[in-house]
Amino acid sequence: MSYSELAPSRRSFLRGLAGVGGTAALAPILAACASAGGPGSAPAATASKGPGPGGYKIDLGGYQGPELTTKPVALRFMRQSYSPEVNDFFNGLYAKFTAAYPNITIKEELVPYGDLPTKVTLYVASGDAPDVMMGRNDFTPAYAYGKIALPLNGYFTTAFVSDIYAPLVTAASAGGNLYCMPWDNNVEVMLFNRDLFTKAKVATPPETIDGDWTIEHMLDIMKALAKNLNTPASGLWALASSTAGNGGPGSNYTQHESFFVRMMGDPKAATSSDDYKTWAGVSTDGLSVSGCVDADGAIAGMTNYQTFFSAGLTPKGVVPDQLTAGTAALSMDSFSVANLYSTAAGKPKFNWGVAPMPKGRSLFECNASDSPIVWSGTKNPNEAVALVAYLCNDANRIGFARKWGSVPARTSLITQMTEYHGAKQQLAVALANSSSPSPRTPGWFDYFNAMNPVVKNIALGAGPASTLHAAAQQIDTLLAKYK
Amino acid sequence: MLAGLTLFQFYPVVVAAVQSFQSFNPFTGATEGFDGLANYQALFSDPAFLAALRNTIIYIALTIAVEIPLALFLAQLINSRLPASGLLRITVIATLAASETVAVLVWNRLYDPTHGLFNSVLHLVGIGAQPFLISSVQALPSIVVMAAWKNVGLAVLIFLAGLQNVPPDLHEAASLDGAGPGRRCRSITWPFLRRYAVVSLFVSTVAATRVFTPVMLMTQGGPENGTTNLTYYTYQQAFQFSQYGVADAATVCLIAILSVVTLIQALALRDRE
Repeated sequence: MSYSELAPSRRSFLRGLAGVGGTAALAPILAACASAGGPGSAPAATASKGPGPGGYKIDLGGYQGPELTTKPVALRFMRQSYSPEVNDFFNGLYAKFTAAYPNITIKEELVPYGDLPTKVTLYVASGDAPDVMMGRNDFTPAYAYGKIALPLNGYFTTAFVSDIYAPLVTAASAGGNLYCMPWDNNVEVMLFNRDLFTKAKVATPPETIDGDWTIEHMLDIMKALAKNLNTPASGLWALASSTAGNGGPGSNYTQHESFFVRMMGDPKAATSSDDYKTWAGVSTDGLSVSGCVDADGAIAGMTNYQTFFSAGLTPKGVVPDQLTAGTAALSMDSFSVANLYSTAAGKPKFNWGVAPMPKGRSLFECNASDSPIVWSGTKNPNEAVALVAYLCNDANRIGFARKWGSVPARTSLITQMTEYHGAKQQLAVALANSSSPSPRTPGWFDYFNAMNPVVKNIALGAGPASTLHAAAQQIDTLLAKYK
Repeated sequence: MLAGLTLFQFYPVVVAAVQSFQSFNPFTGATEGFDGLANYQALFSDPAFLAALRNTIIYIALTIAVEIPLALFLAQLINSRLPASGLLRITVIATLAASETVAVLVWNRLYDPTHGLFNSVLHLVGIGAQPFLISSVQALPSIVVMAAWKNVGLAVLIFLAGLQNVPPDLHEAASLDGAGPGRRCRSITWPFLRRYAVVSLFVSTVAATRVFTPVMLMTQGGPENGTTNLTYYTYQQAFQFSQYGVADAATVCLIAILSVVTLIQALALRDRE
């Protein structure tokens, strides 16, 4: 089976996810990849129907699969380790689940977040993977192509799936099948320290999605901050060092540096155009990046990114928590930091604001977010999916979002949470609604692992054009094994 | 013992060698059949592999050049039983016993180009800030220095054992005959230390070849593949790019290089008497 056969036709996609609005930006991809009756284009066989919401021993959210077995079952769940408070929260949830289904035990494996994709790969290769593993929606094409994840179609009601942000459903789906369950909504924003802007006598960025806020404006603002605050001699910086992954440049291409590339593209442009290829990041069949990774727009984006470092606007090394420490005026962060700042315990010592990411040729927001998968080889599919459904019911999702600070993945949860009625939170909602998935390729793990050091090299002075051309060749070679 | 050696030493090497001629499913890791020399062709046409090969040899050479003389010097100091010899012995062993990950994280902060201690000290003596780990030229030597600080203790202990085996009356007799320190070192100390030097050299070479944690945590092989060695390259191929056959081929090359280097060392230092 080739990867291109998995790319959904418009009809099969909408059939499989009835009632869900797709994003206009993906229409060209869907149309271009129409596959008449290919192996992956039709929804997978769905589970038999059960009682549906309200018909089980505990609230299983949108689950509509069969009632769970009465035989002894041990479910394994691998996820990242959160804070002790959140980990305790999960232990409480498991206790309630086990109280309702005493024959089902849940064994949890906690892994550092950065190790999750590797652990999933190794477990799958071992043939003895946990029943449920924390995945990410940017790996959906790999989950589909490698038959790693169980399609969740039919296990969840249409109403439940429709309630998930449409861009997240798109990101979590391939070939008309939902392969991972959107867990939360990672929304990247620009947080800023109002006090430093006031001190530097520089206007703050706009705090709405339709503000006049471009990458050029951002560079101008940062240069003005650097000059007026006498950075870095004063110990201050215009832009905080990235704290994603290991920190510093090139630590998390997916949720950080790729923004500066893809914002220079345009999803509404013709698919053969440089603008579209810059935005897409990969060919329509997901197997080639030449002309995309090294498109003119991508080169321009990385040139902008290099300016952050060459102009002394951000540290070249790793400096943790600069924004919170009050030593940086701007920081690109997940909105969960804004949620933390909104709490009494997490309130910073300065006045702060939230702006969207700046626009290039378009406003780009990547929705690569945590999304648990059910291993395709699990011996207990109904119970594994039910566990995911339970963890994703309204109460548990709201509880998790309040403890961890992440943005919920479902629109009805946003409505229920009064803390999302504020202006900052509404900005996050607007950004989530306009978000796009990562480049769609079964080799996404290869892709971003190859791009991380490339981005770092560019940050440290390597020529963007030549470096991206070499990276495109390397990634094409890596993706060849998926043909 | 032979069973253990076979199972944990020889068998993995044989499996790696066999698998270096096979292709693999990138998702399941299952072999998909004989693939001839494709993995080796991919290896030798990959600029990153050639950089890793070069860096590994440079790293071995630098490590030996730094660690061996330093170890010998420290061992001599400890053996001479000066007032601070006991403290020096404790310090050397403590760095050896310390967690490598913790040591790497600490040195990462020391090397920070903006806020690190090293650049602060250089600034005090009038030397401009150095890029250290973010320079494709300085990154590898910076890792060598850190690793030497961490690992010199083992070579020190080996040389110390050798020095303590030198009969002191030989040195006394030589002194009485008018032999200076240099002549005593060449004619008395070194012949006793030769075998210990071979062991130290071998241990340092193996350690230098398989260095991984500093590369992984400090530089991730960069900048511009400047610190990628064969071990890190193999890790990337296997765990970041799911290129299992290429990783096996790189492992075979690593073992071959290590064997050649240690053979050369053994021949150069063999006891000709």
